[in-house]
Amino acid sequence: MATEVLWWVFAVGLTAAAIGVVTARSVIHSAIMLILSLAGIGAMYVFLTVEFVALVQFLIYGGAVTVLVLLALMLTRMGAEGEIGDLTGSQGPFAAVVAAALAILLTVVAIDTAWPGDIDDAPANISIEKIGEVLFQDFGAVFILISAVLLVAFIGAIVIARQEDD
Amino acid sequence: MVPLENYLVLSAVMFSLGVYGVLARRNAVLILMSVELMLNAVSLNFIAYAVYLDPERITGVVFAIFVITIAAAEVGLALAIIINVYRNRSTANVDEVATMRW
Repeated sequence: MATEVLWWVFAVGLTAAAIGVVTARSVIHSAIMLILSLAGIGAMYVFLTVEFVALVQFLIYGGAVTVLVLLALMLTRMGAEGEIGDLTGSQGPFAAVVAAALAILLTVVAIDTAWPGDIDDAPANISIEKIGEVLFQDFGAVFILISAVLLVAFIGAIVIARQEDD
Repeated sequence: MVPLENYLVLSAVMFSLGVYGVLARRNAVLILMSVELMLNAVSLNFIAYAVYLDPERITGVVFAIFVITIAAAEVGLALAIIINVYRNRSTANVDEVATMRW
């Protein structure tokens, strides 16, 4: 029961932070709300008993990605400005209609579908040993490929962002 | 305990908020942040399915780790492009970078 109450507290906080990300009137407020919502997702992973992924989430998203975004905001000097209507274009109402329709559709599908198995049960405890086994045995080739992708992407990022001194 | 549907609805709401942000925002960095919201909603969905419906093979957990990896690469590349655009055009608003619009 206590877990359930705590879950709802985190879910409401997470949704509020996500709304803040897309509606904030200043880019810095938006970035801070993004940190909150990414941390909220990490908390959801703890509720789902995958603590390892929660840790990765806090480190990669809460740390690295947020720092990168803040750095880009700083380099493009967008922190000072940002009034109402400046950050959201005139297409805002149409975007709201599309997003609301999508939310209703996905929610109806999620509730209406008869999922197999016992979905009200307490989640099984996923151990880190198990994650490692699956990651390196069943998905070993994908793991190697994805590290190559990451390396190429970062070299590409350096090449693109480099100041050309001719 | 919390049933599976709660996670699915929460992730649907977060994904839709991300869609709204991508469609409504003008600033490229804010669009990127909304894309991060959508990616996180998808990861939450993957992990919820893996834990509730597939706890023996946990494919969804591994996929969530891959999504996080790709998201890191994507953020790095996108920010490099945004910085480059800003250097050339002195703006990061996507509706002002319209050279190639027909």
